[in-house]
Amino acid sequence: MIFALELKKLRRTGFIPIFLGGGLTAAAVPLINTAVRTETFSGLPEEPFPILMDANWGLMAQLTILLVVCGCCLIYHTEYADRGALKMNTLPVCQTSLFFGKFSVTLLLTLLALSLQTASLIFSGIHWFPDKSLNLWEMIQDMGFEIIMLLPTLTLMLFTASLFQSMWLSLGTGVILTFLGSMIQEDHLILSLIPFAAPYRMLHAVSPADISSCILACIIQTFLFGIMEIIYLHTRRIFT
Amino acid sequence: MNIIETIQLTKNYGDFTAVSEMNLHIPKGHIYGFLGPNGAGKSTTMKMFLGLTNPTSGYFTIDGKTLSSGRIPILKKIGSLIEAPAFYGNLTGTENLDIIRRILGLPKSSIDEVLELTGLTQHQKRQVKKYSLGMKQRLGLAGALIGKPPILILDEPTNGLDPVGIHEIRSLIRSLPKQYDCTVLVSSHLLSEIELLADDVGILNHGRLLFEGTMEALKDYASHAGYPADNLEETFLAMIQTDNAARKWGDFK
Repeated sequence: MIFALELKKLRRTGFIPIFLGGGLTAAAVPLINTAVRTETFSGLPEEPFPILMDANWGLMAQLTILLVVCGCCLIYHTEYADRGALKMNTLPVCQTSLFFGKFSVTLLLTLLALSLQTASLIFSGIHWFPDKSLNLWEMIQDMGFEIIMLLPTLTLMLFTASLFQSMWLSLGTGVILTFLGSMIQEDHLILSLIPFAAPYRMLHAVSPADISSCILACIIQTFLFGIMEIIYLHTRRIFT
Repeated sequence: MNIIETIQLTKNYGDFTAVSEMNLHIPKGHIYGFLGPNGAGKSTTMKMFLGLTNPTSGYFTIDGKTLSSGRIPILKKIGSLIEAPAFYGNLTGTENLDIIRRILGLPKSSIDEVLELTGLTQHQKRQVKKYSLGMKQRLGLAGALIGKPPILILDEPTNGLDPVGIHEIRSLIRSLPKQYDCTVLVSSHLLSEIELLADDVGILNHGRLLFEGTMEALKDYASHAGYPADNLEETFLAMIQTDNAARKWGDFK
């Protein structure tokens, strides 16, 4: 019920078109890059998927993070703009469930954007690497890994957006964190797993011994930011 | 029987005391007028009832329930309109009410009922951001009335309405206890408003409850205390001025 409610609140906000547009923009990256540099990529000895990911994922990940930032800001701007959040606070509904409803909606739309990007990578692999076989299972696993790597970023951004009634503050914070995250080197395991940096990691580039640590670290962070929101929701009444 | 009671209810914001040791008694089935100048603590008290802010000390009971038993059992009993109408501007009037309806688990027919009651039926398909201030206020009222809650908390419900709208809303509020068997707590800084609406009145100034009782009791109190009793507007002003002077004298000493 909460999921349907949160989705309904987003009517006419442009939330779904933003995710579709953002997903398509990120999906266009491998298409354009491979189209204009076909010979550079097709001459490489590796499998198509690692080639495509190495060449494009940096920009695709950054666009996806920015999409998550915009989505989280928009979802809470809808709450605060005409004080809808205040009305929700006066109704017999658990505030925590509303937050996790928003989390579910944003995650679903992020999945949609990532699916478009995966489809674009598959198309690029089939179209520009006709001589090589494409390992679809590997691609699906990598995209599943990217979703898990995005979870802490999504939860932290949603938490940040819930803190500020002005969308500009949360948007500014999100954009700064996006660029800070992109500056973190991938060779430092712990640093590269913090929110806004973790989505740049690619499954095929992570050593098999580190995969479970990466997944566990992201799931723990997601829970941690979720708990921070619960604490915030329960303590804000003392200070307001 | 009192449906709402506060016991030494206090709310401080740092050094500032918004509500000071307030003991309110709101009888079931009555319209209770909460009267006071701006900043007297009316909205803060109402926000505490709705669990939007926690009391610094003291407590309150609503239909026998305290805040310690959780906000949700209390909120199930209350329909509210606080400060200004709160809604989603991107949604239509019907869609806004549908969100409230779903949360309260009411039938779809409850939306048409409150739209009719607040005179918004013909504007139900319009996005709320395109509503006039008066229409927004009516929608806020519809959001409070949906589901016929046993307690209604209305913070200055006639704000932004034209004289005809004020009259309509006033008549509607006046009819609610009989129609819906509910108790209404309505705040205003206009005595004339409260005089026409309320059975009981509580007068607040700087967070302190100066008087509580029926309109008749207020007149008796005014004549005994030497305040002008013929005109309630003057009674109210005299009470506030006396209290302000006493506070200044206290500060000076």
